[in-house]
Amino acid sequence: MIGIHFGKPPRLAAAAVAGVLALSLSATVSQPSSAAGWNLKDAAAPYKGTTINVVVLDRPSYTAEKALIPEFEKETGITVKTTTYPYESALKAETLNFVSNSNQYDGILADLIWTGTFANSKWVVPLTTFTGNPKLADPALDLNDFFPVWLDAFKWDGTLYGLPWDSYSGLLYYNKCMLQKAGFTSPPTTWDQLLTKYAPKLTNKSTGVYAYALQSLRGETQTADSFSRFLWDFGGSWYDPKTYVPQLASAGAVKGMEFRAKLAPYMPPGIVSDDHAQVVQLMAQGKVAMITEWSSFYTTLNDPATSKIRECLAVGNEPAGPAAADPAFGGFAYMVSAQSPQAKQEATYLFVQWLTSKAVAPELINKGAVVARKGADTAPAMMSKYPYLKPMVAQWGHSNPDWRPRIPQYPQMSEVVANYGSQIQQGSLGIQPGLQKINDEIKAILTQGGYLK
Amino acid sequence: MLAEQRTVQAALTVPAVNPNRRRALTPWFFLLPGIVVLLAVGIYPVIYALWASFHKVDLAMLAAGTPFNGGQNYILAFFNSLFTGAVERSLVFLAISMPLELGIGVLLALYLHGTLFPKLLGVVRVILVIPMAMTPVVVGLIGTLVFNNQFGLVNYIIGVAGVPPVDWLGNSLMAFVATLALQIWQWTPFVTLILVASLSTVPPEIEEATVLETDSWLKRLQYVQLPYLLPGITAALIFQTAWIVKLFDMVYTLTGGGPGVSTELVSIYIERNAFRAFDIGTAAAQSVILLILTIMLSNLYIRYFYREAEA
Amino acid sequence: MNARAVAAVPVVVIGLLIIIVALFPVYWMMAASVKTDNQIFAIPPVWVFQPTFEHYRHVLADLGMASALLHSLGVGLATTALAIVLGVPAGYAIGRFRFKWRRDVWFWFISNYMMIPVILIIPYFLIARTLHLINSPVMLVLAYQTFAVPLVVWLTADQFSSVPKALDEAAMIDGAGEATIFFRIMVPLAVPGIAVAAILSMIFSWNELLYAMILTPSDETRTAPVTALSFLGGYAIPWGDLMAAGSLIVLPVIVFAVLVSRYLVRGLTLGAVK
Repeated sequence: MIGIHFGKPPRLAAAAVAGVLALSLSATVSQPSSAAGWNLKDAAAPYKGTTINVVVLDRPSYTAEKALIPEFEKETGITVKTTTYPYESALKAETLNFVSNSNQYDGILADLIWTGTFANSKWVVPLTTFTGNPKLADPALDLNDFFPVWLDAFKWDGTLYGLPWDSYSGLLYYNKCMLQKAGFTSPPTTWDQLLTKYAPKLTNKSTGVYAYALQSLRGETQTADSFSRFLWDFGGSWYDPKTYVPQLASAGAVKGMEFRAKLAPYMPPGIVSDDHAQVVQLMAQGKVAMITEWSSFYTTLNDPATSKIRECLAVGNEPAGPAAADPAFGGFAYMVSAQSPQAKQEATYLFVQWLTSKAVAPELINKGAVVARKGADTAPAMMSKYPYLKPMVAQWGHSNPDWRPRIPQYPQMSEVVANYGSQIQQGSLGIQPGLQKINDEIKAILTQGGYLK
Repeated sequence: MLAEQRTVQAALTVPAVNPNRRRALTPWFFLLPGIVVLLAVGIYPVIYALWASFHKVDLAMLAAGTPFNGGQNYILAFFNSLFTGAVERSLVFLAISMPLELGIGVLLALYLHGTLFPKLLGVVRVILVIPMAMTPVVVGLIGTLVFNNQFGLVNYIIGVAGVPPVDWLGNSLMAFVATLALQIWQWTPFVTLILVASLSTVPPEIEEATVLETDSWLKRLQYVQLPYLLPGITAALIFQTAWIVKLFDMVYTLTGGGPGVSTELVSIYIERNAFRAFDIGTAAAQSVILLILTIMLSNLYIRYFYREAEA
Repeated sequence: MNARAVAAVPVVVIGLLIIIVALFPVYWMMAASVKTDNQIFAIPPVWVFQPTFEHYRHVLADLGMASALLHSLGVGLATTALAIVLGVPAGYAIGRFRFKWRRDVWFWFISNYMMIPVILIIPYFLIARTLHLINSPVMLVLAYQTFAVPLVVWLTADQFSSVPKALDEAAMIDGAGEATIFFRIMVPLAVPGIAVAAILSMIFSWNELLYAMILTPSDETRTAPVTALSFLGGYAIPWGDLMAAGSLIVLPVIVFAVLVSRYLVRGLTLGAVK
């Protein structure tokens, strides 16, 4: 290093300094940038003119996504086509696509419960393939800005396969006017409070008004929303995380189902055949005081065209149980199809990275999307504008990524629980015999899958 | 067998066709296009289904291969209470809906066959097409609104008549009834139209003759029109049996198979098996069993109803 | 005169009853399509209200219903046309000729209709993929033949077999060939059966969901029921939009049925042809 003497530097030294400076300057310009200088346009240059196909649902987050796609296309020259599926058919369509190697989709929408199915069959690419590639990886990606539970949700065998995208938490929506009239200034914080204190005062059968409604339609709704909600909070679980021995007939599970049965008199009759839409309607029409639903329903309940109660709408945390406070957890990520040609894979990664980036998140939230970016979700301006963000973010701090198992056998397991769970709820099957049946069939599935010996 | 039975007059008054004058190959020329196309399109899928039914095919675990497992899928299907329950349910559904659809269908066909107010009849005939024309998915969804306990139209209407609200979709029995109601509403027109076409094959001279002989439409129906209706009735039975075995969209959106399993008809169960449990091998075996069952039922219909025509 | 008037009343009453029962759910759907979502759920029901066409506009302009309807139209017409071309001759052969395998061929046609689509989705998908026909309406039209052709064959066989043998005789004596007999004599007489078969074939292919969802899923080629189903996120159901979509889907089929229904009456002139 050339020592710098204050005072007039010798001419030779000055020339040497200038020379070194010039050299290092030119070196910086001609080398590919590592930290400073990565930008989307340059990274996407080799893929200009490529078309990629991405799966979307008909939900607010995806409407926001579609609105922003032109921005991405303009910046990169990559064309992004979308195919819309109803949720119930998305898994079927994506699986058919993989099984037949038909390469219809490059951007795979993955519900967190499908992670095992996709990753285990090697249908999707581990993200390190892309994040370890300096040409593709955006230094501002900042994986740590995602809520940790969301990264865990899309990991399989320790490897991350997707970038968290459409992210939900189960929230307590309550009608504060109805609560106030019954003498409550705040919502219940535990299930016990809800049942013993709030429910009796908020139910009036003669006027057809009920305290609570639990979406329970047979299908994933029964498994996730109705059954699992009362499983963890009361001490039950799907299976022991180390031994995989099913715990669905355990004392905790029984307690949970008994509690759910106790709620029945305070819920509208026929609730066992109600899906999200019906329950949200009950709330929106003022027929029910409280529901525990996904955070994505805030928009519907807050929209005057679809809701009569928007001035009375309030949002809080899901009630806690005696054993745990494990709120409903669900959401989607985008993964890259392993069957797509390499160039398309990389182009897809660039799209997904951009879509889930810190920079784009605020715009998405303002267009109605729900994302898993800490910075964007906790920004004070956002939090005051969207009241569902505060409880949602708080709950993500202690959510369980395996609230529903993410193993490949999950779809089968969910069917078993949905079938017997709705029969238990309906009363055509006793709680203990019903749970025992569930436990036995899950055991068989896990044994067949090699998890249990 | 068909033609001779019905055109009795013609057979008696005109010498029989000399079979040698019609080349034996003639019918095949007319049949060939249809057979070729259906074979080309339909044969591979059936072969695939048969193949899958004898193997273990799990879509989520294809990496583990698709080993041959003999008749295991078939045997296990018979012991699978979810499957046998679904088959039972579909058969009960058929046993209740079909007589109703046929009964109402015959009456409607007779009504449309009348001679008064041809313009009104023409309008009714077209309007009858409309229930069939509704997309089953949409029908199921309308059902969820109309049969809803709290804000459903049906409960409102019976409430006006003083009847307490019925839990249509949350009660096992009533959900089945609601599904039946929608099915009958939508498909009785199908049976009606087939029977209308059948009634049009009754030779007018015979009809005129019987009108002169008796005033009772019931007697006319029993002794003259019925033989001409039997082929149509058989066709309706066979088509509707196949339709109910395949029935999916409407029930799926109305109840999803619930509450519990009370409306889980056989296609709903097989779809779950195939695309949620991803167990294609078992689902294929179950589909083949149902195909055989449908064929057996159809043969029964043909033997029973067509034989009546010969009596 | 009096007896006739008395007979007339039940005819009219029954007719009106049928119309009400058949149309009420459809009316209800169309009424809902011009209400706001709040009004749809209102109990007591809202009978008089200010209609809104926002759902129609939204569904046609933003949600791709317009192009979906056109696709459905194309697929439906093509399916029906092809099924008639293939099925009517087959129905003729089965209805009027005695040949060795007749009963078995007759039954084989209908067995195509019986197979459960759920399990056939996979092989159809694989065929489409191999022939690069995924997202091509051609594949759909071909797959639909498996239920349209049986319908046509069965309904027309019935019609053809009821035509008096005397007509064949007379024509052959006059020197007419098989083709002439078929086209000039038989087909016109079987028109009611063909009409019913055409309407049913159009309806079935128009409303078919399972194959359409898998074989032509892309937003550019999908048919109307698939688009309508896509409104069901499973989470929030846009009832107004869905009712508008349902109403739009029903209308073309009604028009088709009206156009074809005049042929349903032709059978009454059967006896006049000698």
